[in-house]
Amino acid sequence: MILRPADVDEALAHLGTGALARAGHTGAAPPEPPVGADVVDLTGVEGLRGVQPGPEGSVRVGAATTVAELAADAGLARSHPALVRTAGALATPEVRASATLGGNLLQRNRCAYLRNPAFSCLQDGGHGCPARGGDHSRGVVMDAGGCVEPHPSSLAVALLAQGAQVELACPEGRRRVEAHELFSSGSGAGDHVLGPSELVVAVHLPAKFEDERVGHLRASSRSRAEWPLVEAVARLDVPAGTVERARVAVGAVAREPLRLPQVEEALIGTRAERGAGEGVERAVAQVRQGGTPLPLTGYKVALLGAAVRGVIEEALADPGR
Amino acid sequence: MDTDVNGRRCPVPESGTAAGHLREELGLTGTKLACGSGVCGACTVLVDGSPTASCLLPADRLTGRTVTTVEGLGGDHPVQRAFSDHDAMQCGFCTPGFVVAAAAFTDRWRAEHGDVPAGREEIAEALSGHLCRCGAYEGIFAAVAAACAGEYDVGEHPAPPRPDAPDKAAGRARFTTDLGGNSAWEGVIVRSTEPHARVLKVVPGRARTEPGTGEADEPVMVPLPVPDGVVRYVGQPVAAVAAPTAEQAHRAAGRVQVDYEPLPAVIGTGEARRPGAPQLYPTTEARDGAPAYGEAPTPPAPWSGNVRGPGVVSRRGATAVDRLRRAHRNEDPLLVAQEYTTAAQVHSALEPHAALARWEQDGSLSLEVSTQTVRKVVTKAAAHWGLAPGQVHVRAAHVGGGFGAKQGLTTDVVAAGELARVAGAAVQVRLSRSEELIDGGHRPGTRTKVALLADRRGRLRAMAVDSEGDGGVSVGSNVAALGALVYGRAPRRLRDFDVVTNRPPGAPMRAPGGPPLAWALEQAVDTMAERLREDPLTLRRRWDGNPKRRALYRKVADLPLWRDRPRGARTGRFRRGVGLAASTWMYMLAPQARVELRVVDGAVVARSATQDIGTGIRGVLGSTVAERLGAPNAWVHVEIGDSDTVHGTGAFGSRSTTSMGPAAAEAADRLRASLRERFPEFPASGPVDEHTLKEALTAAEGLSVVGQRRTDRWGQLTPSMANDLAVGRGLSGAVHVMEVEVDTLLGRVRPTRCWAGLGVGRVRSERMARNQVEGAVVQGVGYALFEERRHDPATGTVLSDDLEDYRLPGPGDVPETRVHFHQEGFEHVPGSGVGLGEVCAVGVAAAVGNAVHDATGWRPHALPVRPDRLLEGLR
Repeated sequence: MILRPADVDEALAHLGTGALARAGHTGAAPPEPPVGADVVDLTGVEGLRGVQPGPEGSVRVGAATTVAELAADAGLARSHPALVRTAGALATPEVRASATLGGNLLQRNRCAYLRNPAFSCLQDGGHGCPARGGDHSRGVVMDAGGCVEPHPSSLAVALLAQGAQVELACPEGRRRVEAHELFSSGSGAGDHVLGPSELVVAVHLPAKFEDERVGHLRASSRSRAEWPLVEAVARLDVPAGTVERARVAVGAVAREPLRLPQVEEALIGTRAERGAGEGVERAVAQVRQGGTPLPLTGYKVALLGAAVRGVIEEALADPGR
Repeated sequence: MDTDVNGRRCPVPESGTAAGHLREELGLTGTKLACGSGVCGACTVLVDGSPTASCLLPADRLTGRTVTTVEGLGGDHPVQRAFSDHDAMQCGFCTPGFVVAAAAFTDRWRAEHGDVPAGREEIAEALSGHLCRCGAYEGIFAAVAAACAGEYDVGEHPAPPRPDAPDKAAGRARFTTDLGGNSAWEGVIVRSTEPHARVLKVVPGRARTEPGTGEADEPVMVPLPVPDGVVRYVGQPVAAVAAPTAEQAHRAAGRVQVDYEPLPAVIGTGEARRPGAPQLYPTTEARDGAPAYGEAPTPPAPWSGNVRGPGVVSRRGATAVDRLRRAHRNEDPLLVAQEYTTAAQVHSALEPHAALARWEQDGSLSLEVSTQTVRKVVTKAAAHWGLAPGQVHVRAAHVGGGFGAKQGLTTDVVAAGELARVAGAAVQVRLSRSEELIDGGHRPGTRTKVALLADRRGRLRAMAVDSEGDGGVSVGSNVAALGALVYGRAPRRLRDFDVVTNRPPGAPMRAPGGPPLAWALEQAVDTMAERLREDPLTLRRRWDGNPKRRALYRKVADLPLWRDRPRGARTGRFRRGVGLAASTWMYMLAPQARVELRVVDGAVVARSATQDIGTGIRGVLGSTVAERLGAPNAWVHVEIGDSDTVHGTGAFGSRSTTSMGPAAAEAADRLRASLRERFPEFPASGPVDEHTLKEALTAAEGLSVVGQRRTDRWGQLTPSMANDLAVGRGLSGAVHVMEVEVDTLLGRVRPTRCWAGLGVGRVRSERMARNQVEGAVVQGVGYALFEERRHDPATGTVLSDDLEDYRLPGPGDVPETRVHFHQEGFEHVPGSGVGLGEVCAVGVAAAVGNAVHDATGWRPHALPVRPDRLLEGLR
């Protein structure tokens, strides 16, 4: 049965009875729910949709806002261009039209072994990881043991760069967590840490930097419509031509999206017109050295370094808005 | 719980997908299902005006929404008319999805910008959720830009070159996968889960296995042929199950139990070559039963363990080897010896393999099949079921792509026929995209060593090619052998090997063997030019005696793309380079090709048991008959894709136009002569006025003539072989010039411009011929940069089994392409032209390779040129 709750409390009540949450339904070949299972459709829930300006330049984005709405929001393009650019570059126009912010954050990973019922692994209740000894050429470069499939969410990378908080709801109430707390690098199953009766309600974006410049970059073989080998987002505050604050995040390299604090620190004081200096180069080299690639993902260490350098150059050259 | 679909209110179901509901319940089969995972866009519909992938959209989401399918656009949306006029399609299976998205884009564009053409980048972005496997992107760009500019709002446009284009653009063209409706049972295939095992027992679960037993709508199961009772790859068909609905069939398939006795498997070719490796085919008998992927019969060759070969083609082979060995000993700088590899390329036509079978009361078998060989399906089905050929009726009205993989009695046909017999009902079998990408056929991967030796004056002194085909359980690689057709008469030894492993079998794919040889040889030739400090074009003009290509080289020399290319070392993140490559192919023909013309209701109906897989043969037949008869195109109706008429050729070996065209011309000449006998006012040549035409045809109602292809002057090179295949005299040629831009930071290669010159004699329909050439560039770019079947190294399980992990080029990945035809050199052939579907596909990837080298100084050796390989090469 399809349940269409009107508000978050009703949705949570349904989830509490074991019903399955459904948002944009765009995960590649999403599994059909078991026969007889109840499905909670979240797309019509009040308070889950839309982009609302908040106090002091902050913005609240409802979890059921579609990626296309995010990408086309003129106000958000001015206030949070890194998120908007990331949203506009992921998947295809058709998928973006249905996919939601919350669904993108909580989507399942894309491992071909996980998709194939002939294989079992710790992601589906079994043991071990067949990709580790098999074909993991698009796998992680920060190996934490366990599963080797990178986290698939592009928007999560952008949210880390935006310093966003995620508003969660469960029957006990609501709470806010930092975006990175949704994810875990641990070796457990699943691609996020939410419980079955918890919901992502919204994302809260703090105000833009005073003189914000951004970069976004996806490394892939095709020009569009491809899962990135590495994705990088950079946000810099460059009043008077000098970087005063920086947030740099990368995706598709680990079980979770990552911020790169050492690169951020190294960027402080960089003169935009002179480009990234030696300190930044050293920090990028450190990121590369921190990589623990798998046998087939060594190339991604180099690509990660290149993508970080590229996204910083792009952000430094960004005329701002 | 209602929705509005194309202006009609209708109820919405609680389960299933929107695509399934639109197609099966509402009969709106213009919405196509090709990938089932929201990647290819063939299922796109407008939901409240927004393009949406209906294969992912739960049907209940349609509640309260307004849905427009391709049928709802009415057939006269400017985009639809532009698609027909610009020939923005080949097979047409992806067309409805493109049309729906392009209509929304065009309407929005014009509202925002007015009636100005949209640019290539904007169109590529808007259509980035769509894939066309035929590669008709050039036409699509042109059509959308013209529709944006308002060129198709009003006014008459001449009849399109492809007469079925309006039907394809309107979603009216019905493909095999559209025909079953609600009445046919759904059949699914049960596949091996073991890489190598003896099948001990197939237990049908609750399905019945004999006709006329049990309840009428109980699921049925049939075993599928497993030669010698041994399965040799994960995904090999073992049995098939059918039930009244797909859901029931999948449930019943899940209950079929197959007992295996596992045998040791061998997955990698290196492992397979090792002494003592498990053998796939331990006995002579087993080896003879190994499937072959050649189009022509595969000549015998010796076996050693899992290695078959060499098959040797030589011209003064001992001399070639002597010279090469000496040059190697002397470290001769003019010896170029290199190894090149290619990955498995999957055909992946957007319409999957599909068959709908029905046994008639009189014991005959009716088959609707998505096939490129209607006639061969008849022959093989008759042999399989012990019927006379006249008892098998095969139809393939519209075929959603083939590229070589849809020939003869494929698994879908056998399964549908067997299941229909037991079920006592019509049964359709349609492969899923996953099945298609695992076991729907592929161009096998190759490893090719090429050695070229030149003398001080830059003349070719010796050539050797050793090539190993990696076709899984199948054999028949012919890569090296094609080296006999190129670069003059210098001594050469050409050896082909197959290494068999427990992975799925290959199938012939567009110019079998050609692209991998060109990938190796054309890059080796460029390397030699570098050693000789010579322009790659100059070297080819000296080495290459083919007169058609020589004419094309003259064009290239004057081409701004080539003449003004960047020279010297390039720097910076983005580097541009230009490369070229030569292509050669055999001229093949179907000597038995026939066309029947019959006067029906005052018009001419052209019939033949050939089929249109997107080549445009339907249009060639119609326009040829009309022109020879002196009648307007609209007076000739072409009915092909039906076996119940005269023999027509299978769509393989680049033979359709050069075989069917002359047969159509001959038939038209005969009809004209017959009409003149009855109606002397009918002129002997030239256009006929409509009044005379009408009177003559009315008087000749029911008249029927058959035209046959005239033989070539000087005859054929070979007699007709099986499959109505013969090799004619003369080689076709092509030259590709490719420009790429390499992002040296992220390792991405972006082909920007391409010039394709073709020497195939006279071209019958320029626009459709150009479409084929443009499509071959797209497929070649895919082969060069993106396409790669991936497998699990332990079990051989194909992992790249959806269109996200098996990457086809999209609209934004292909170069702006210009096509030039050199129309001389085949005057000995009726119609003065030969086929081009394969020769235009041979050298594309090689040209990309040479362009990458020109841009970066690094020479790629392995396909595809992935970012990791490029970055490694540039380190």
